[in-house]
Amino acid sequence: MMELHRRLGALLALLALMAFVSGAGLEAPAVVPAALVLLAAVFVQPGERWSSRLEPAWRIAALLLAARAALRVVTGAGDPVLPMVDLLLLLLCAESLRSRDGSGDARHFALTFALLIASAAYRPGPLFALLFAAYVVSATVMLVVGHLLREARRHNAEAPPPARPFLLRVAALSTVVLATSFAVFLFFPRVSEGWASRGAPAMSRAMVGFGDRVSLGQHGTRIEPNPEVVMRIEFPGGAPGHPTGLHWRGRSYNQFDGVAWSSRPDVRGRHREAELWGGPVIEQVVYARALGGANVLFGLHPVAQVDPLSRIRPVRMRNGDFLYVGDGDPAYRVRSAAGRPTAEQLRQVEPEHTPEYLAHLQLPAVTPRLLRLADSLRTSAPTMYDHVRAVERYLTTQFDYTLDLPPTRREATLDHFIFVRRAGHCEYFSTAMAVLLRAGGVASRNVNGFLGGEWNDFGQYLTVTQNNAHSWVEVFFPGLGWVAFDPTPPAAVATIAGGAGGLSRWRMFRDGMDHRWSRWVLDYDVGVQSSVFQRLASPFTPSSPGGAESVEARRPLWPAAAAAALLLMVLFVAHRIRRARRLPAGPAARAYLEVRRAYERAGFPPATAQPPLAFAAALQSMPGTEDARQVVAAYVAVRFGGRELGAGEAARLQEAARRARTGVRA
Amino acid sequence: MAAAAAPRRSGLLYRIRVFLRPPRRLRLRRPGGFLVVGTFVLGIATLNTGNNLLYLLLGALLGTIALSGWLSEQALRGIRVQRRLPRAVHAGDATRIEYQVHNRKERLPSHGLVLREMRQPLDDFSTRPRQGDAPLPIQAFAPVLEAGGTARVRADLEPRRRGVFPLHGVTLVTAFPFGLFEKERDLELPGTLVVWPRTDRRVRPPRAGGRSGARIRAGSGAAQGAERGDYRGLREYRPGDDPRDIHWRSTARRGQPILRQYDRQATNEYWIVLDLVAPAEESGEAAVEVAASLLASAHARGDRAGLVAGDARIMPHTGGGGLDAALDALAAVTLSPAGPLPDPAVDRGSCVLVTARGGGGEWGDVIVVEGDPA
Repeated sequence: MMELHRRLGALLALLALMAFVSGAGLEAPAVVPAALVLLAAVFVQPGERWSSRLEPAWRIAALLLAARAALRVVTGAGDPVLPMVDLLLLLLCAESLRSRDGSGDARHFALTFALLIASAAYRPGPLFALLFAAYVVSATVMLVVGHLLREARRHNAEAPPPARPFLLRVAALSTVVLATSFAVFLFFPRVSEGWASRGAPAMSRAMVGFGDRVSLGQHGTRIEPNPEVVMRIEFPGGAPGHPTGLHWRGRSYNQFDGVAWSSRPDVRGRHREAELWGGPVIEQVVYARALGGANVLFGLHPVAQVDPLSRIRPVRMRNGDFLYVGDGDPAYRVRSAAGRPTAEQLRQVEPEHTPEYLAHLQLPAVTPRLLRLADSLRTSAPTMYDHVRAVERYLTTQFDYTLDLPPTRREATLDHFIFVRRAGHCEYFSTAMAVLLRAGGVASRNVNGFLGGEWNDFGQYLTVTQNNAHSWVEVFFPGLGWVAFDPTPPAAVATIAGGAGGLSRWRMFRDGMDHRWSRWVLDYDVGVQSSVFQRLASPFTPSSPGGAESVEARRPLWPAAAAAALLLMVLFVAHRIRRARRLPAGPAARAYLEVRRAYERAGFPPATAQPPLAFAAALQSMPGTEDARQVVAAYVAVRFGGRELGAGEAARLQEAARRARTGVRA
Repeated sequence: MAAAAAPRRSGLLYRIRVFLRPPRRLRLRRPGGFLVVGTFVLGIATLNTGNNLLYLLLGALLGTIALSGWLSEQALRGIRVQRRLPRAVHAGDATRIEYQVHNRKERLPSHGLVLREMRQPLDDFSTRPRQGDAPLPIQAFAPVLEAGGTARVRADLEPRRRGVFPLHGVTLVTAFPFGLFEKERDLELPGTLVVWPRTDRRVRPPRAGGRSGARIRAGSGAAQGAERGDYRGLREYRPGDDPRDIHWRSTARRGQPILRQYDRQATNEYWIVLDLVAPAEESGEAAVEVAASLLASAHARGDRAGLVAGDARIMPHTGGGGLDAALDALAAVTLSPAGPLPDPAVDRGSCVLVTARGGGGEWGDVIVVEGDPA
């Protein structure tokens, strides 16, 4: 039993360490050596001699690490949690390698639990849930076994051997702890802003292309794919028909200096596209990652409204972009219009000379051949819309898409792309279209965002990765607003939308788990809590017509509640049947056994230990004794004398049994 | 040495206190105290930080406390205890009390049960129980009681003082499952533990013709059967008489024990008179033990020694039953710091006075005990 207890202790420490690693990774230097020591401690225990030899070493190392942690706290240099975790791990290793007889259980539990608390600060992944459950089961068993060991030693008794059914029962009892934990998590009111969380770990590679200035002139070898997830998008009202072909608009740029795009802040727009285009509303709930330096909110064009779901404040810029103020990963709800002007409507529109229109005709110094090309594309088009389509068609059909970057700065220019290289990535295509349109007198701007994504069947949402980053063009049609056009060749568009290779089913599953974990656990807040309460209360409250509820809110809980109620009813009926089977048939036998049970509860010997007449003889004078004797006599007469009770006699017997029970209870 | 005042067991206040008496008591052990404080601190930290995983961990601590409360309750439920006491034990002798513990639960076993004798009756609210109050700290341990099973457990006991100790009941204590909290439940189980005084003191035999000219009759030292004189008649049996002298036919006829009387010319016969007044408790207790040792040695020699101790009066006897009765009386005597010398209603010349304050008068012999004579 002691060996089992010791191993459980080492296992507990190992589980806590894994939980920490699932969030903080291998940041703490002591993690790997501690894992090796704890793993060894599960299987091997050093003898008393080695333990006593190691003891001074543990103490010296603990003192040094404590001094280091204190220094870190005092100076404020760096993360103070990591040195403390190092100290915790050292103490845990020492504890696990000591000869443990149950006396240090409280200390061991406190150390491992402190490690769990530390790991909570690092936003661990869904693996934490599994490790936490395993931790609770192991801790329950270890603490129970340790307690029995201690009590046996205290009373000079022999500890009972660790029978497997007993251990399994104890392990099963840990579900009570888990259920309480879940209930506290779910129902405890959320009042805080969560300032102590360390937030999501930063993206491994910062996202470029969404800053105030986006440069075209990158050169080098090749744009490397990066499958890191940028955002996950749910469609509470149902996904559009082709979700992997959607353009997720981020930032727009109206000024091009020949090398880089930027945005003039004084250019004002009206942004009435959602109102003008109409159509049904597409609702999108976006769970994005902070991009680092660029606080951009993405949505389907045209965006009508953005509501924050996390601690951010959305700001609509003059150019119609949505940025935000706040920390952490943004979560928000976007409502966009699904309608789009038809080609006929667009053909009716003519260029105008408003300040907004003219501001989007700005051009850098361009070569005469580029102007000639722009003229040639314009002259063949009868309307502004046909002109735009002609430029778009020219680029999609005459040029190739490649992620290979121009080798030199000189070859990274727009002119070189259009007239020499005739291949490039999406920014070249969008820039070329915008410049050719502006040279032809059509107001346009460059837009950066994401294209498509991977539809996750497991979680029913769209996963957008860095590979989906894309550029396209918006053209201003007076009276109708900004309309998007994508000059990148369709084959390349399909590649971008697919995310360069796609996610495997396993990664899809993992991503779904990560998303649910973040949404329902790490970012569980007052809003989500109230929606959960609404769902729980939904079977009892009438549904609000036309309310903007999420998919989860509409998914009723009553089937689960009904199943639980049915299960409880079945268990109750089974219990009653079993109890009825245990009671012998006949009112006399039932009355007799009820009386015996009542006396048994009061301290009399059980029915199996004393025959009926001996029981009756042993009864002392107390209220109900005569009634009890009467019941016993009737039972003996029926059971052994073959007498049959009439209906009146049975009723009187039941009444006597009731009086006897009342008497003995009093 | 003075008898404690009996607790008041009537009145409205008493009834209210009986009504409000909790069915269980809960004590925090040290790890439990740390756990409660830790849970409280973690709760504050959780509310302040809003870290959702801390809510999960806080729930785990609360769940541990809840599970601890539930399982300890289950361990205490459905337990029936029977106690088996020895007839009497001598102070200073190691002995055992046996408990038969039965778990009446059909499915759940009980683990880590400690049985502890209650220190006061259930309905006694006169004093708060304290650690030092218990004259007899008796406890036994049942590591495991399977569902529906019975176990016999023993409590080792080495009473230091003589006395008649009422046992009010058994307190079931468990710290199962984690050793964080101790939950207690009282079971009323009346009984009496009689602790006789020690009888192994080295005492001299009473002197024939003691310092005051005792008239203790010297014996021949022959066997008891041979010491009986002529048959004299029948009389009622008194405690301390030799059961072998019971006349069974007369007993059967009259329905009560009747004894044959003989002339006992060959046997020493005297009374041990214990002076219950002692200037100090130590010397008084020593006098009680000397009296007990005198009775035991008289029994061993075959002398017929009686006892007078306050109101208790055991006739001179030679049988073991008589010695037991005398030791029972000595176990129950109460000493007092002041008072007159004893005045037995027998001839003082046939009495051996055992006293802690010095004696005078026409005693057959006087043994003065000063402090601890051992």
